[in-house]
Amino acid sequence: MMNPIKNIEINPLQASSSLGAAMFFLGINNAVVLMHGAVGCASFDKVTLTKHFRENIPIVTTALNEYGAILGGTDFLTSGIKNIYEKMKPDFIGIASSGLTETSGEDIAGIIRDFKEKQDLPFSKIIYAGTPDYKGSLEDGYMQAMLALLEDFSGKETYKTFKKSKKLTKSVNVFCPVSFTPQDFLELREAVGYFDLKPVMIPDLGLSLDGHLDERGYLQTTAGGLGIKDLENIHNSEFNIVTGLSLGNAVKSISELTGLATYYFPNVCGLKNSDKLFNLLSELSGKEIPEKYKRQRRQLMDAYLDTHFYFLGKDIALALGIDLLDSFSTIYSEMGANLKIGISTKFSNDIKYRFLNFYEGDLDLLDNYRNVDLIVSNSNAGFYVKDFRIPLLKAGFPLIDEIGHGYKHYILYRGAVNLAVESANLLNKG
Amino acid sequence: MHITAKEEYFDEPACEHNGVAKDKKACKTATPGSSTGGCALDGAYIVLSPIKDALNIVHAPINCLGNSYNQRTSETTQRENYYMYGFTTAINENDLIFGSEDKLRQGIIYVFNRFKPKAVFIYNTCVPALTGEDIEGVSKELAATLKIPVVPVFSQGFSGNKNLGNKIAGDALFTYIIGRKEPEIDLLSDYNINLIGEYNIRGELFLIKKALKQAGINVLSTITGDATIEEIMYSHKAGLNVVVCSKALIYLARKMKEKYGLPYIEGSFFGLTSTNKAIMDIVNSFGDYELTCSAKKYIKIRTRNTEENIYEYKRFLTGKKALLYTGGVKSWSLVSALNDLGMKVIATGVKKSTEEDKLRIKEIDENGNIIMLDNGNPVNLIKIAREERVDIILAGGRNQYTAIKSLIPFLDVNQERFNPYTSYEGMEFLAKQIYFEIKNPLFKLLKESNINL
Repeated sequence: MMNPIKNIEINPLQASSSLGAAMFFLGINNAVVLMHGAVGCASFDKVTLTKHFRENIPIVTTALNEYGAILGGTDFLTSGIKNIYEKMKPDFIGIASSGLTETSGEDIAGIIRDFKEKQDLPFSKIIYAGTPDYKGSLEDGYMQAMLALLEDFSGKETYKTFKKSKKLTKSVNVFCPVSFTPQDFLELREAVGYFDLKPVMIPDLGLSLDGHLDERGYLQTTAGGLGIKDLENIHNSEFNIVTGLSLGNAVKSISELTGLATYYFPNVCGLKNSDKLFNLLSELSGKEIPEKYKRQRRQLMDAYLDTHFYFLGKDIALALGIDLLDSFSTIYSEMGANLKIGISTKFSNDIKYRFLNFYEGDLDLLDNYRNVDLIVSNSNAGFYVKDFRIPLLKAGFPLIDEIGHGYKHYILYRGAVNLAVESANLLNKG
Repeated sequence: MHITAKEEYFDEPACEHNGVAKDKKACKTATPGSSTGGCALDGAYIVLSPIKDALNIVHAPINCLGNSYNQRTSETTQRENYYMYGFTTAINENDLIFGSEDKLRQGIIYVFNRFKPKAVFIYNTCVPALTGEDIEGVSKELAATLKIPVVPVFSQGFSGNKNLGNKIAGDALFTYIIGRKEPEIDLLSDYNINLIGEYNIRGELFLIKKALKQAGINVLSTITGDATIEEIMYSHKAGLNVVVCSKALIYLARKMKEKYGLPYIEGSFFGLTSTNKAIMDIVNSFGDYELTCSAKKYIKIRTRNTEENIYEYKRFLTGKKALLYTGGVKSWSLVSALNDLGMKVIATGVKKSTEEDKLRIKEIDENGNIIMLDNGNPVNLIKIAREERVDIILAGGRNQYTAIKSLIPFLDVNQERFNPYTSYEGMEFLAKQIYFEIKNPLFKLLKESNINL
């Protein structure tokens, strides 16, 4: 080839940090996301999220035009907040910025602070996450929003002096990664609940975007999720559980901001990691591991045995965000599958040893591997499987050409069974 | 530099918004805190990306393309799908500091060598527009070295909405592509037209082309459904431009009229009445007796045939009530399609319609019963639907969940529609889909089970 330098993203795997922040905010109950940028910044994200979750997605825009872009967007931002409040009365407004608004170098946090001080209306809770699109990944934006939220809720004196109330049910804060499906959230919530602990999922995309017909019908804001009341009490919980490789860097901050003991799991997938989680929950709650999960554990061991034949001598390529790449490769490694290629949006020394080749890059890297037996990636990998006739296990984000992935889950024992069985069937067909 | 959009875009003699708008710029305002449609980039990408042998490179940070590519439903006859790929320079912090023109240049050369496109469109976006990168310079330089059109598209989102983006794309085609080639003689017949603003969603263009061919009309070029760069290059040699369902591309038609003396008409292929009218309008503009006779004969046969095929559906649908919320031309052309099915349109959205569109609605609506909905607020839509007891809502994907969560039957008639709804076959699809959706017992079951509704 004339020019070997690629220097362009062809079918990107990465998505922007502003989208990550938006997804975090969507896990809060009765919330609206405000994108500070041109109309497209909100509309592109809204369209994709709507197709991905098959739900109404309450994202609105500050509709910055060329005057705002050049002369400053303060008025756009403040009138945006006011209009949301008047029209939708949400409990929570999550604001994410964009490349456009961050390039012009505005002090968005300052504008919001001033605005909040001047308004004595019973305003919604407003949190801002600085997410310039030219910096950071989907996972970074999600974490940014998480920390912005914690900072706001732990910065108040009242919380620090607040005495721990003696409640019958002890609660636990659970921090999950952006890669969790709504069903993943629900499964983890249920598992924690089995130990007589009240899970406070931060955020809770299980309750907001699992796809349920709300008794109130159509809603303009999120139809469920983490409640503001629970959020105000997070420092009252017993301890924190953090899961997700991408949240590794947030563990220290989470622990400091909440002032609680924090237990970190890069992932809660597969046999060993699920064991670790259940043992911890059992130890901290003083309850025995429920029969249900003991049974599921035995089922997983059996499923590994049943399905491992299908993987013998087969090559698998994974092109996923860093959290799913870690989760799935954990499960595949346990059953001895051959992971030929791992592609993600950033490099990770922790997991690269599981793959024959590990890259940071776009989906187009798959073009070099036309002889693998299974590709695990999102809808956009469709270009490559169509040409090469390789089965595609669809996971990650976005999944827009198929319905129902929100009901699937890949965490804990049962999640590993799901992945093993789905992969085996595809390998068998391919 | 192209920080601001050309003033010309906002001064459109052929658009009825012109002058009516307070400061002539009403076309580009949106309220902060609302959920509006896409930006200029979105609009430009929609117009240009269906061209099947060109590549589209979005010069932007990752969010402009990375979050949302590979979602269009334009169909083509070509097996290779490179034109659907998502290409972006993914501007990062370093690029912002040191500039990313070089990155763009290398990226284009790489994709040119690998995919051998017939043209490359480079979309400028908010961030590089603000930092003042010379996209035009890069385009010029590469067009000279690579010997294909490398077209800068100044579609930075803060300049305006989707409609503006349509215009910007039209302008890019007019400036860099159209008129650059002459068609082979055997591509021409006596009656050549271009279809402007038809993107072949779910293969709709194929149905329109089929009908036109049988009526005796040759579609020389389509802008841009299933199109090649070459056919757009010689599109100026057609005898008539037919602007299908896109007010924004009137701009292009007017420009072509000014430069090449090519007349244009507007037409819609949604519904039986509209399709027949569009064919006859095209035929009449050629003013040829023989063509008129053969077209009339064709229309007569197809109309009878279609009416037979939709008879059962129509019998059921007669008197059923519909609420229509869609944009522009569809705000009246679908009214006529629904009337063809005997349905009563209670309200139609006119937020994105022109004064002329509104006039047409009034023409179709003899008794003046149709509510013109200026407010697309979902809550408002549901309120009207409930008050008027409509049987179905027809709208775009963004209103799908508004409708179904309120347990009102729904059909997507915009971008994400499942079927082609144009021409005679499209009428049958439409009738069938509405029939089965309204008849579906699911809504009754859920209403009974959801006591709070």
